[in-house]
Order: sequence, then structure tokens, then C-alpha cells
Amino acid sequence: MEVKLLTEHYSDDNYRTLEGYKAKGGYEDLAKAFKMKPEDIISEVKASGLRGRGGAGFPTGVKWGFLPNNGETRYLLCNADEGEPCTFKDRMMMERAPHQLIEGMIISAFAVNSPKSYIYIRGEYVYATRVIEKALKEAYDAGLLGKNIMGSGFDHDMDVYVGAGAYICGEETGMISSLEGKKGQPKLKPPFPAVQGYLKKPTIVNNVETLAAVKYIIRDGAEAYKKHGTEKSTGTKLFSVAGDVNKPGNYEVPLGYPMIDLINNECGGMKNGKKLKAAIPGGTSAPILNAEEVERATLDYECLAEMGSMLGSGSIVIMDETRCMVDMLKVIAHFYHHESCGQCTPCREGTGWLHKLVSGVVNGTAQVSDIDLLCEVANKMKGRTICALSDAAALPVLGIVPKFRDEFQFFIEQGYSKVQGRANA
Amino acid sequence: MLKCTINGKEVEVKEGTSIIEAFREHSEDIAHYCWHPGLSVAGVCRLCMVEIEGNPRLQIACNTPVTDGMVVTNQSEMVKDAVKWGLDFHLINHPLDCPICDQAGECGLQDQYMKFGQYDSEMGQAKVKKKKVVDLGEKIVLDTERCILCSRCVRFTEEVSKTNELGIFNRGDHSEIGTYAGKPLNNDYAVNTVDICPVGALTSKDFRFRQRVWFLKDKPSVCTGCSTGCSVDVYYNKEGMWRVKPRHSEVNGYWMCDEGREIYKSTNVMTTDFVGERGSAKAVKKENRLTQAIHINAGDKNYKTATESLNSLKEKLDSYSKAALVVTGQYTSEEYDALLGFWKSQFGTDNVYHWANNEAQFNDFDGLLIRGDKNPNTKGLLQALEKHGITAKKDVTSLSDQDLVVVAGPENQWVYDDIHVIAKALASNKKVIWMSACHVDAAEQAGGHFHFIPTKTFAEKSGTFVNFDGREQSFEAVDLFVDQALSLTEAVALLKGESVELSETNKVISVSNEFVHERGQL
Repeated sequence: MEVKLLTEHYSDDNYRTLEGYKAKGGYEDLAKAFKMKPEDIISEVKASGLRGRGGAGFPTGVKWGFLPNNGETRYLLCNADEGEPCTFKDRMMMERAPHQLIEGMIISAFAVNSPKSYIYIRGEYVYATRVIEKALKEAYDAGLLGKNIMGSGFDHDMDVYVGAGAYICGEETGMISSLEGKKGQPKLKPPFPAVQGYLKKPTIVNNVETLAAVKYIIRDGAEAYKKHGTEKSTGTKLFSVAGDVNKPGNYEVPLGYPMIDLINNECGGMKNGKKLKAAIPGGTSAPILNAEEVERATLDYECLAEMGSMLGSGSIVIMDETRCMVDMLKVIAHFYHHESCGQCTPCREGTGWLHKLVSGVVNGTAQVSDIDLLCEVANKMKGRTICALSDAAALPVLGIVPKFRDEFQFFIEQGYSKVQGRANA
Repeated sequence: MLKCTINGKEVEVKEGTSIIEAFREHSEDIAHYCWHPGLSVAGVCRLCMVEIEGNPRLQIACNTPVTDGMVVTNQSEMVKDAVKWGLDFHLINHPLDCPICDQAGECGLQDQYMKFGQYDSEMGQAKVKKKKVVDLGEKIVLDTERCILCSRCVRFTEEVSKTNELGIFNRGDHSEIGTYAGKPLNNDYAVNTVDICPVGALTSKDFRFRQRVWFLKDKPSVCTGCSTGCSVDVYYNKEGMWRVKPRHSEVNGYWMCDEGREIYKSTNVMTTDFVGERGSAKAVKKENRLTQAIHINAGDKNYKTATESLNSLKEKLDSYSKAALVVTGQYTSEEYDALLGFWKSQFGTDNVYHWANNEAQFNDFDGLLIRGDKNPNTKGLLQALEKHGITAKKDVTSLSDQDLVVVAGPENQWVYDDIHVIAKALASNKKVIWMSACHVDAAEQAGGHFHFIPTKTFAEKSGTFVNFDGREQSFEAVDLFVDQALSLTEAVALLKGESVELSETNKVISVSNEFVHERGQL
């Protein structure tokens, strides 16, 4: 069943204005937060077990705790560069409830004592950018941003920065490079952003959903928030469901919710009554699950990790029996080939190589031995680069190829798709 | 000091040392491309992988500092596999045009493949095609296909020359090095990017296609381009000198300026028609190297060997009552000592002139290496003058009606703007002995009685230069390229009537070009 915590008022068109937002109790949690001590907010977030919603799932409170106490200016960055294919939750959150994000960010900024924050929005999200910009203006006019917010003595400025549409700028250090006006390329770690990030100052980077969730942890308290979800994966999460289901869209469910229930109940079952073949649980970089695994999977960090996949950004791609996995992998490989920043050699050359190998299968130039080569190349790209893009490119290969090897073999030997037949080959 | 274990060896390193530095300090081989000791850490080639005990993931040695008690190896199977695949990733789109590549023989890819690779490539797909000949500026040509995007050159223009001409454009495997529009790579240190390029992507227009590096020998020397006195390696074979590259030292770090790279041209005698950019003011014809003594009397040229010429001069020395000496800052301290000592005993200390050329600019400094004093040994000259109690005069042009003027002329004469003025002024004297490594057209055309004696260039003699801040730098002769050339010391000895061991002068390199196995360091 859906638990509408963040998305409670999303159906209300007025919710995106300051007036409509305040009517539903908006900015009351900010007032509550200002009465707390910053360190108490951090410990509350730690206690809630909130984990980063952008993909890596790192505990938010712990991340905040990494900030050094050296008196340097701290920056809070909101990562709204939602680039993972098939993810569209942040977009909805920004378009439907900009003030929810802004409030969450002010609370977070107050907690980590940051005077300045930026919302880094993906370049394609033109409408979301406009909504956020309008909301920021409203917030400034109402004294919710700027000097001495709500008489608390806390000053905070917030700005929007629009990216240029590179996937890699969703990686936190890539985003920082881009924000600094440089080419969007991840930075070498260490130093980590919490120590030396934006403009070499301590920086916290959080996802839109993470920052918005902070508001609800303050509203209800850590204990109440923890009641949702499982022991290690607490709270609710938005899942963007795409693909062959009757009702694709964003659904907020508690973590630990069975995946098959999400498909059958919330999403209205498989489209045209077709059979489920496979699903990608966390964006294209997560290894694929076959139908049998989908039946068993629950939507939380632990279960999916155990199954060799990951929760990632929470974008679920459902594929029915008519989908050709060779085709699917070709699309994915092309994406990562196109998006590799080109900095680290294994990723720069490897993503292109994977793409060429999979294209070879479709074009009829591949040999059967290329299937093993495909897996080997992917294996050698994994874990050897600055950021996780190389892994993101390798993991779908390592997920799809072994599970659907017969389709690859058939394609190479027969020259057309096993699933779709000769006409589509 | 920190204790750590490298490949089973227990060693001590300074605090703050990175693992790759520790490996190199203790001469353990470690594969790398992007790391360079003179540049910041980029960590992008992913070749310097090491396994650290207690860490399940391989780490890059360049960005990981050594900690006390660390046990680290690059000999494990996991590391070897990572390096092998790292090399394969570098090579899959690298054109194997080694037979026509100028870097062959001193190429990081070749060397590291032989050391760490030696596998058969599994790449069966078409390679990425990129631009082959990209003109980056006056001095450098880029081959984007060969480039492995280590970003060394980009970091060099960012961090060392601070001129920011280079950048990496595009993404993924279509990334390319390039210059920003309207900003060619023409800075004063640009050719350093060629030196640090681990592959044949950046090549120097001056050197490319001239020689195969495995036929070049190299010897250390000191740059004569200015008073900084950078440590250099001179590359030569029996056909002459071919290039000068910086050698790491405290004086110059890892770099040298492009002007300094021209110094070999005053010595090349055989193979180039022109040295320097054709048509530019610095162009010098190859015949400009003085190969034997020339006596010019009222337009007639009369050739002799340098020894004969000096012997005939020796006999008349006592007959000159009015004599003057003109010295430039381009000789070694030992030569000054011999020359000034001889002059003092023969003619006294009155008539010694220091020809300084652009003295007003002597203190100019560009903040990195280039100094306004274009002589390698002005300090040494001043020290020698002081030692012999000589106060040198400056106004060389006022010299006239002398029976004899001896000029220790400049070796790099193109930096002496006033050479025409001086030569013309000196022509009014009865006899001028002009010692120099090069022909001086200005003097030849000035009329009067000029006698040219060929001297050795910096590469042909050993000695000491004292640089701008008083550092004494000794160097050995690289080889002899002109059999008639004498050092000032030898010339003075001949004038004194002493027997000179001219063994070096007879040993002009005539051996065949040998194959050099080890060439340079990445």
C-alpha cells in the first residue's frame, strides 16, 4: 500500500505556491527546527536512519557528521541532476512541491550551519527550474530566505544552478566541478566533499528526496519516521515505475515493500496481460532481476543488494516477455558510452568497447566468444575508476548477459532476435 | 619517518610521501602515465594500482599517502591483472603506428607494455578515428589518435606555465586535447609538453622526423641560454646535436624554456640547412659554424688551422704596444681564468672590456626560469675579473687605433643585438682576433683586419658556469663536433707557447650511430 508522506498533497495544484503550501502546514516544521539545536537536528536525522535517496544510500546523518569544525564556510548542495535513465521522481517533487524541498533544505542548512546552498537542476528540467525559481522568489519575499529567517538569527541564501544535461554531473564531485564552472568531471577522492568540496570548502551534497524527507523527520520525530520501512532501510521512498505496466508513474511506498505488489497493485499489473520477463530495480545501472527474482524481491537496500542488484535511485523498469535483452543492453551500453566523461581510462575506453561489442551482436559481426569477452571487459572496468560510472556501465552487462545468455547466443548464431523474431532484427 | 613494506621490502619514507613516490624512491617498478613528479595528481590512467593489506579494493598509488606500518604490493595477481587490463584499455583505441611515430623508442606505451603487458589484444572492433595532424602552434604538432588523455600537458599549461592554452574537449572516447579558439600553444615553455607526453601525441616541430631516438646518445650539460643555467641533456649522434631536453635539478625543476632548446643549433654543422625558424631573425645558416681559422685582410680570405694561426700570432705578440681585450659572459670560469691571467702578464690590466650587450635587462625575470641576462656565466666573468684585480670597461665602441684587439665573442650571437655596432667599431683597429664558435657576418663585412679563431661550444668542452645566484655548475664535454675548435684555455696555452694536449680536438665523432636501448624516463 502507498504511504503518502512526502507526496500527501501532490494532487493539490495550489501546493506549489507559498500560499497553498502554508495552508497545508508548510514552514511550520522550519519554525520547529529553529527551536532545536543544530546538533540535535543532526542526531535526530542520524537516529531516523535516513539514507541518501540519490542512489548510493549512504546514511545522511553520518555524512553530515563528516564536516570538519575548522570555521570554514560550508555549502549545502541539492543534487537535482536526476540523470539515471527512467528516474523521474525528483522532477515531480520539484514541480509539485518546490517549497517542500526549500523547507527541507533550510532545515538541513541550519543543521549543518551553512550560509549558502545551491539547487543543481538538470538542464532538461526547464519547467521544474521555473517552478523552483518562482518558489525561491516567494520564499525570499516572505522572509523565509535571506537574513534572519523567521527571527531565528540564521542567515541563508539559496540559488538555482542549471546543468547542461550531462549524466556525470549527477555524481557529487562531478556536480561540484560543474558548479565551479569547470567541465563536469568527478574529482579525485580523497579529499571528500565534506572536507574539501565546492570551492575547496566543506560541502554537503544531498538528493532532492533526501532533503525533503528531513522535513518529515523533524515534523514527526525520528521514531515515527522509523516506523515506516524496515529496520535498516527506514522511511518511505518514491519509486518511478516505467515500462510495460498499466499505470507507470511515481509511487511512494515504505521501504521493504514487495516489488511484485508494487507492480500488481499500485501499477495495475502488466500491460495487455503479458507475462513479466525481467525488471531493473534501481535505474539502468542496477543489475537486472528476472521474473523469479522479482517475485522474491522487496524494495529495500539490503534485499536488493543480497540479490546482486541495488535500490539505486528507485527507478523501476518493467519488461514483459516481448522485450529483447540484446536490444535492451545495446541501448544501455550506448547511454554509458555517450555519458562517460572520458577522464579515467578503463571507463573511457571500456564503455565504448562494451557498446561496440553489443552493437556487434545486433549488426551480425560478433562471434560467440564475444559474449565472454563482454563480461570480462565489464568485470575489469568495475571498481577501478574515480567515480562509479564505470561500475554503472559494467553492472547491467554483468546482470543481463549471464541471465539471458541464450538470447545473445541465438542472436549471434541466427542473426536475429530470439524474442522479437526476424522482422525486428 | 614512516616505516612501510613495499613489495616485501621494509623501507622508511618521509611523511606525506605518496605510495608511487615511495616505490620510485626504492627503485620498484610501477606502471603509470598520468602521474608526473612536477605536476598535480590527476589519478586518471588507473595504472599505478597497488594492493594495500587490509583493503579489499585496489588503490591508486599516486593519490594514496603512505601510512605507518602500511604493507603494499604491486606484485599480486590482482594488481598484475589490473595493470594488464589498464594497458589494454589504453591500447584498444591507440593506433599502432610505431614505425612512423616519432616517439617510438622512448614511448611510455611501448616501455610499459614490454614491462607490464605482453599480452595479445582482444580488441577486434574498429578503433576510434580522430584527427592525425593538428597544428597546436609554432612549435608543436598533435596527433589526437595517439593521445591517451593522461592530461599531463593540460596540467602543465595550468600549473607551470599558467597560460591555460590546452584543454580536453568532448567526452568519453571521443575526448581530444586541443587549444582554445584563438589561443595557440605558443608560450615560452610549450615544448615541455612534448617532453612530458608519454606517447607520440605531442611532437616538436623542431625535432620530429629528424632522427630515430634509438640512434641518439645523451649526455648531461648546462644550458647556455641565460643566467639561470638549467640542467639539460644533450642528444647527439655522429651527425651532430639534435635536441636539448631538461634534466631534473634544483635549479630548473623538471622544465626548461623553449629559447634554451635552441642552444644546440650553434653547434650543429652537418645536417640542417637552417637552424631556427626559417625566415625568422634567429635563423642561422648551417655554414655559420666556424670550422677553421679565417684571416680576412682587405677582403681576401685566407684559411689556416687554428693552431697555425695562433702560432703565427704568438711570434708577434711582443710587438703590439697598444692591445685591448673584449670578453663576453659566454665562456667557462676556467677559460676566463686562463685568458685573464695571460692577458695580465702580457699586457697589464688597463685595457680589458666587458661586452655585456643588454645590461639594462640583466635583472629581468619571467617568474619561472627565463632571465634577462642571456649569458650563462656573467657571474663567473665578474669573479675572474675580481680575482685578477681587473676593472673592466664597458664602452667597447670607443676602442680605436689599437694594435691588437682580442675578442672572446658570443657563442649564441643571436642574443647580441649590438653585434653589428661592435664589429663596425672594432674594424678601425689594426688587427682584431675574434674568437667565436660561429661565423660573424657583421664582422666579416665590416672590413679591416679580422682573424677568426673557432672556439668550442658548451657541448665540446668541460668547465664551470656560475649562474645568477652564484651556484657553480660544472659540466663535462658531450663530444667534439669541429676538429679545429679550441677552448680559450687551449688558445691561451698555444699563445704562451706551451704544448697543448689536443687529443680531444682530434677525436671528432666519426663512429657509426649506435643503438641505444634505454632511452629517457617517463
